[in-house]
Amino acid sequence: MSYPLERIRNFCIIAHIDHGKSTLADRILDVTGAITKREQKDQLLDRMELEQERGITIKAQGVRLPYTADDGTEYQLNLIDTPGHVDFSYEVSRSLAACDGALLVVDATQGVEAQTLANVYLALENDLEIIPVFNKIDLPSADVDRVKREVEEVVGLEVDEVLACSGKTGAGVREVLETVVKRVPPPVTDPESALRALLFDSWYDPYRGAMSMIRVVDGTIEKGGRVKMMATGATYEVTELGVYDPFPKTVDHLGPGEVGFFAASIKSVEDAKVGDTITLAKHGATEPLAGFKEVKPMVFCGIFPTDSDQYTELRDALDKLNLNDAAFFFEPETSEALGFGFRCGFLGLLHMEIIQERLEREYNLDLITTAPSVVYHVHLQDGSMVEVENPSSLPDAGQIAHIEEPYFDVSIHVPAEFVGPVIKLCQDRRGIQKQIQYASEDRVIVTYELPLAEVLYDFFDKLKSATKGYASMDYELAGYKPNKLVRLDLLINGDRVDALSAIVHKDNSYYIGRALAQKLKKIVPQQQFEVAIQAAIGSKIIARETVRALRKDVTAKCYGGDISRKRKLLQKQKEGKKRMKAVGRVEIPQAAFHAILKVDG
Amino acid sequence: MPHVLDTSVYVHFPWCAKKCPYCDFATRKRPAEAIPHEAYADALLRELVLRGDLRGRRLVSVFFGGGTPSLWAAEALGRVLAGIRGAFEHEAPELEVTAECNPQSLTAEKARGFAAAGVNRLSVGVQSLRDDQLRFLGRLHDREGALRALSDAAAAVPRVSADLMFGMPKQHAMDAEIEAVLATGVEHVSAYSLTIEPGTQFGELSRLGRLEVAPDDDVARMFQAAEARFAEDGFAHYEVSNYARAGAEARHNQHYWRGGDYLALGAAAVGCLGEGAAARRYRNVKDGDAYLEAVGGAASAADVEGWRETLGPEERIQEALMLGLRTTEGVDLGALEARLGCDPLTGREAAVERALATGELVREGGRLIAPRAQWLHLDGITARLF
Repeated sequence: MSYPLERIRNFCIIAHIDHGKSTLADRILDVTGAITKREQKDQLLDRMELEQERGITIKAQGVRLPYTADDGTEYQLNLIDTPGHVDFSYEVSRSLAACDGALLVVDATQGVEAQTLANVYLALENDLEIIPVFNKIDLPSADVDRVKREVEEVVGLEVDEVLACSGKTGAGVREVLETVVKRVPPPVTDPESALRALLFDSWYDPYRGAMSMIRVVDGTIEKGGRVKMMATGATYEVTELGVYDPFPKTVDHLGPGEVGFFAASIKSVEDAKVGDTITLAKHGATEPLAGFKEVKPMVFCGIFPTDSDQYTELRDALDKLNLNDAAFFFEPETSEALGFGFRCGFLGLLHMEIIQERLEREYNLDLITTAPSVVYHVHLQDGSMVEVENPSSLPDAGQIAHIEEPYFDVSIHVPAEFVGPVIKLCQDRRGIQKQIQYASEDRVIVTYELPLAEVLYDFFDKLKSATKGYASMDYELAGYKPNKLVRLDLLINGDRVDALSAIVHKDNSYYIGRALAQKLKKIVPQQQFEVAIQAAIGSKIIARETVRALRKDVTAKCYGGDISRKRKLLQKQKEGKKRMKAVGRVEIPQAAFHAILKVDG
Repeated sequence: MPHVLDTSVYVHFPWCAKKCPYCDFATRKRPAEAIPHEAYADALLRELVLRGDLRGRRLVSVFFGGGTPSLWAAEALGRVLAGIRGAFEHEAPELEVTAECNPQSLTAEKARGFAAAGVNRLSVGVQSLRDDQLRFLGRLHDREGALRALSDAAAAVPRVSADLMFGMPKQHAMDAEIEAVLATGVEHVSAYSLTIEPGTQFGELSRLGRLEVAPDDDVARMFQAAEARFAEDGFAHYEVSNYARAGAEARHNQHYWRGGDYLALGAAAVGCLGEGAAARRYRNVKDGDAYLEAVGGAASAADVEGWRETLGPEERIQEALMLGLRTTEGVDLGALEARLGCDPLTGREAAVERALATGELVREGGRLIAPRAQWLHLDGITARLF
């Protein structure tokens, strides 16, 4: 059944983490009758196991829901789920671009929190109608009046009509949908234009190739038709077209304003780029929709199998993950210490953690990962420039004219009482203050230029603890700046461990070297022999610590009644060793390779 | 003759006059007059019947452990021993029958009584010959009592073993204790480093940071010094914590360490019987009174058990490595393969290769052996093979 534009509403839900976005989405599916109780799984929209566990949405999806409003009119609601993390801000912005309105869910027991603001700004940038919704009113501590004032004063949204609901009990959810129908504007289209559809999500299906989630803006896409991806220029025949209701259902065409998926035997998600515009292969549109951008990895790390026998398995797993996630990059790398592995690039830290976890969980691999690094621009004496994203491959100091590192423009939204600690943190991290601006009487926006490397080193955790979790942060690449940077090496029993090298600022290098050696002393377990840990810059040793030899590691008694327990203790000891890599004769745990992240500069 | 399965029997006696602060064995404090000597013997004999068919099995050793078996009436113990020997179709020549004893409850009369009942080996819990350390360990006896018990034991049975502990606070040497114990004529000594187990009184104190023990360096030195001292008297260090003159090794324990079958009777007793390549391990209900009650109403042996697990070939291989590498004879790979029907080194070739290259392990004939010099690091060496 096709719907006229005025009876289509495209909207999403935005919220601070844990404010109940997914529960409300489930309830909306429930209220519209899209799923029966039996089919209802907790947080149905979060497809992947990992997402469910971490409570964050990584992939955006769109669900079509028929809804009969109180006045008897039937509407097509398209609920578009958005990824919930700043690493995926580009994907978020494309999902929002597919919507015309957003439900801003605020936990009525908590109030406005860090990501609430960042989400609102993103929605405003995309011209969305924002409808505040106060959730969790079933809880006794809910205080809608107070939270409403916060939304008005802190977020700056007029709340003419208070929408209070409970995703848990379903109370007020129908009223929310009535408001969506009333306040979210219907899609706008240019009837003269050829097909233009925004690709806002893609994923890989082993049988059908890359699948794309699209929002049709102008024209109609039809099954069997030939379409063109405007960014890549490639053309495809649409082999399958469909919608999620929430279960996949094929359709013959999708018209203006509609949301759905298509398959076209596209080999990899690399060819179905988020943000691309789909038009007709012949007589297509000439102007793509605004906002397309190539995403580039910002953060790199080495990934190595703990057991070198798993190298091939690791490569196959990376290949498979790459099919589904074009933003993730990898190439072979050889480390003297860790053997054969891969240098991998990610959008950000969370993206990196997710990939690492999926490799271990879904592919059952034991991995050693090195500390994340940024891409340095290294200008050589001969006038050329090389990009270095692996500290151990920094050319000799003698060849280097100067090194530039990437900076981020970081804006931190924070209650006024925390401005002091935030400024101190940014100063400690080599930040350059840009602006301090009062958004309201007690909310401040602190803007700094910060080296990305410093942001990687535990900045989020430090910011969170300095502001009791109240800070929200947004960032974008601000370009490269030259700095006095040097390579800090770590030696274990006299041998340089390339995977432990780091690029640090010269002024902090002694301090970091000493702190790192001390940290490693605590991390490297006692071995049967003494282990010397040294930090060096060039050929100069700047710190030395010693891990004393382990004198005794043997169980006293082992008789019939105790054998099971002793066996389990040894199994546990073995599990602990799995996460260790033998570098020479010394067993080094995974944590050692991330120790640099925990050293305060 | 059809294939005969060598089997040991472990009998647990769950009561003590006092619970020691380091002990994590299943035991309850109970005054001597309140111990149900005969009722417990009856229950054990009934469990033996419930355990069923022992045909095709050869009894190779019996061990009465605890708890404090020396609190038990010799006649009661004797009835149980006779019942066990009668239940087996075959019996090894010179069957080893051991009873664990505390110096305080092992009187000369008790030793003679046990001997008359068929016990031919007494293992005496000396622990230390320094009164301050015995007090620290919460023991009821003193140096005099320990030495007297050893000589009473030696007068009653042909084989006597003494338990010693080391690693007590401010202890730097144990040569004097070893010397005094060896002077009594024992031919076997178990020397354990004090281990703080969670759930014990010491474990709790240690968790609270209130227990002082000897530093690992001192413990390691004493471990090495003990080996040297025993060697002077011709005692071989044949297992991590055990020393013996040739031929005086504890056969019952060797049977455990070689992965043999053992039947268990009594409260909290743990048994393990092979079933093809797998094995079934069980532990009876822990409390003595609960055990008496369970046996009374039991329709089958399973009703007496409080816990059980099935060991697959991999677990059995792990245990064979864990136990065998603690002994000078090591792991008999051929025998293990014959028992389990698979090569025990499959899947751990690389780890074994590395251990052989570093000298942590050696291969002698069909045996995998951890040289004595490696024993202080044995847990790590074994864990890498898991």
